[in-house]
Amino acid sequence: MLWTDKYRPKNLKEILGNNKEKKIIETWVENWKNGNPQQPLLLVGPPGIGKTTFAQAIANEFSEYIELNASDKRSQDVIKSTIGESSSSRSLFGDEYKLIIMDEVDGIHGTNDRGGVRAIGEIIKTSKHPLILIANDFYSKRLQSIKPKCQVIKMGKIRGPTINKMLKNIAKEEGVEYDKEALKELSKKANGDIRSAINTFQAIADTSHELTMEDVETVTTKDDRSTIIDGVMATLKSKNPKHVKDALRVDEEPTLVMEYIAENVAREYTNKNELKKAYENLSNADLYFGRARNTRNYGYWKYATDFMGIGVSSSKKETYKKFTPIKSPTVFTLMGRNRGKRNLRDGIAEKMSQKMHISNTVAISMFPYLEIMFQNDELAWEISDFLSLEKDEIKRFRKKVIPKAVIKKMEKQKEEMRIEERDRRAEELQNQIFAGIPTEEIVEEEPPRDEVELISEEPQAEEEPEELMAEEIIEEEVEEKPKEKTNKQASLFDF
Amino acid sequence: MSGPWVEKYRPQSLDDIVGQEHIINRLKKYVGEESMPNLMFTGPAGVGKTTTALALVKSILGEYWRQNFLELNASDARGIDTVRNDIKNFCRLKPVGAPFRIIFLDEVDNMTKDAQHALRREMEMYTKTASFILSCNYSSKIIDPIQSRCAIFRFAPIKGEDVINRLRYICSEENFDYDEKGLETIVYYSEGDMRKAVNILQATASEGEHITEDSVYDVVSKSKPQDVSDMITKALTGDFMGSRKLLHETMVLQGTSGEDMVSQIYQEVSRRVIDGKMDPEFYIDIIEAIANCDFRIREGSNPRIQLEALLTKFL
Repeated sequence: MLWTDKYRPKNLKEILGNNKEKKIIETWVENWKNGNPQQPLLLVGPPGIGKTTFAQAIANEFSEYIELNASDKRSQDVIKSTIGESSSSRSLFGDEYKLIIMDEVDGIHGTNDRGGVRAIGEIIKTSKHPLILIANDFYSKRLQSIKPKCQVIKMGKIRGPTINKMLKNIAKEEGVEYDKEALKELSKKANGDIRSAINTFQAIADTSHELTMEDVETVTTKDDRSTIIDGVMATLKSKNPKHVKDALRVDEEPTLVMEYIAENVAREYTNKNELKKAYENLSNADLYFGRARNTRNYGYWKYATDFMGIGVSSSKKETYKKFTPIKSPTVFTLMGRNRGKRNLRDGIAEKMSQKMHISNTVAISMFPYLEIMFQNDELAWEISDFLSLEKDEIKRFRKKVIPKAVIKKMEKQKEEMRIEERDRRAEELQNQIFAGIPTEEIVEEEPPRDEVELISEEPQAEEEPEELMAEEIIEEEVEEKPKEKTNKQASLFDF
Repeated sequence: MSGPWVEKYRPQSLDDIVGQEHIINRLKKYVGEESMPNLMFTGPAGVGKTTTALALVKSILGEYWRQNFLELNASDARGIDTVRNDIKNFCRLKPVGAPFRIIFLDEVDNMTKDAQHALRREMEMYTKTASFILSCNYSSKIIDPIQSRCAIFRFAPIKGEDVINRLRYICSEENFDYDEKGLETIVYYSEGDMRKAVNILQATASEGEHITEDSVYDVVSKSKPQDVSDMITKALTGDFMGSRKLLHETMVLQGTSGEDMVSQIYQEVSRRVIDGKMDPEFYIDIIEAIANCDFRIREGSNPRIQLEALLTKFL
């Protein structure tokens, strides 16, 4: 069983933290119970801070409740048929109220949910029952029409010590032995998300029943994108330097923050002069990030941060009065989506660099010429053969496959050339052996095994440049000289 | 037969190398010596740095050059640790059949400063067994301690005359017809870069029997992505998002490097101003921005961000 469910507080009293909010909710519940209808409650806040827990705790105060969450299809009809009826009519018998909980209200979107927001508006207007709405993003467009009709409760992150207290309770119940500092670190790492903290804790300690600092260091809690978004949002939306600077104190790689700002500034700043100015600042920011990296003088970061933050934010005359959602850099998605193509490209480049003494970058810069050369059937075969390209790699340069007849012809040609070359080499070797080293020595020092290997290698040598064959023999000859032998041994002692 | 001409016609001995006579003459003095100082070859792409290094290695190490030679590329996505390990493993063994071993490290200017410092230590550690030949495009990107440990050779772009002679030689070896004008066009577009010249030559040859001005021009324009022109047009008409998208696609999918993008943008706008399609005053403003962008990219900024900023100047 998930610890998050097992240890979920059952009623308002058991809930830790959020004391101010708890008071408001208690009064709200009290008023309903006294037959005094209230505005719906809208609980807003980041994930994992107990919004659902709150709602369920409240539900316990009522005799009946209905819950809808994000996984439900929320077209107008569904909302109306499930809770529309119950929301406007009350039970014939008694004064029982039904509590209606709608989770992730800001998640309503797309064609499936057409009219969903309007339906909620409708329900709010007509409902005679207590209603709780739950949402993540206070600034969501979908909440704009709903917010004024609700009593909004903004909930913040849970403080580290509170999370720590909760984890301690769980540890006691589950019999987990823990390092105090490790538990503290885990609470801190969760960054206000108590659900994530409990889940991580369970992942580590469920079977081992212990928690060490090492455990905590090796697990990473979920990454916290909200902060980077806040930073970008402030840079684009605000003109207040202090606000921008504060918001950019983000626990992220600063160049990533810059990528986010660059991605989104073009959507936000529609005035082209403002966009130009903003990009000048980004370009400067990038320059100093580069200098910091190259000189290892990270003191430059502060200038870079000011360029991308205050610089970009002050590039606009006035704040744009429109809503542009913050997007993650599209170039990353582009890279991800085309990983296959890029891998193919890099694979070819790697083969070229091996054979041609060039770097991958230089290899890639040759691609346009290869594309032209590959239109020639014979040359396409030659180059593919030279680089040992696979079928899909050849397809990178030409759409059509190389005609079979051409392949046959070229292979035959190659074979003829190989035989010619081999005969020439053999003759050369023959001369070398007779002219050079006494044959006795070879017989004496060399075990026959190697000689066999040498011969058996001959047919395979066709793939390699022909010199290789000769060289292997030379190498062996070298090692056979006694002088070289002592040399070799000395080198063994060197290390 | 045997694939790319750039490899087939790579000069194998120091005497075959064209256009770098004074460097070659000095290097020849190391042949037959018991040791060689560490060398640094610097200069633009395609002027013969790697070729010279390979030829030098062969004439110094003789028959056993393969056993005593290690070629590494510093720029490829391998950490400095891999490079160091390779060097360490290689230097562990004594030279076989040669006075010393040689390590050739290409594109050192793409190494981070940290990695360069690490490299410096390796260079000191193995002075007894190995000599280094380092190669880079910009010596300014190399830390001083490394520069001071090397004899530095600056390779200049290859003179047009030398390029054309080499192209003539290849054509005659391959039995290809050409007219002088065709070869001159190749020389013009290759800007002293022999690799580029030979690539253009082979690409042109692959299309037909004869190398003429027109057939060369055809290849040169085909080898340039159309995207760059579209990208500029889009930016000029105010469609920044569209223009930026093309930039991303060219860089991510084609893998075009930042420096190549800059030079293609430069060529595109120059063409426009000469064809009377761009106002000279606007052109000069753009040139300032391009130059600035070029400088920053070479200095080590993020090419994509710098190019995006450049595109806004067209708006």
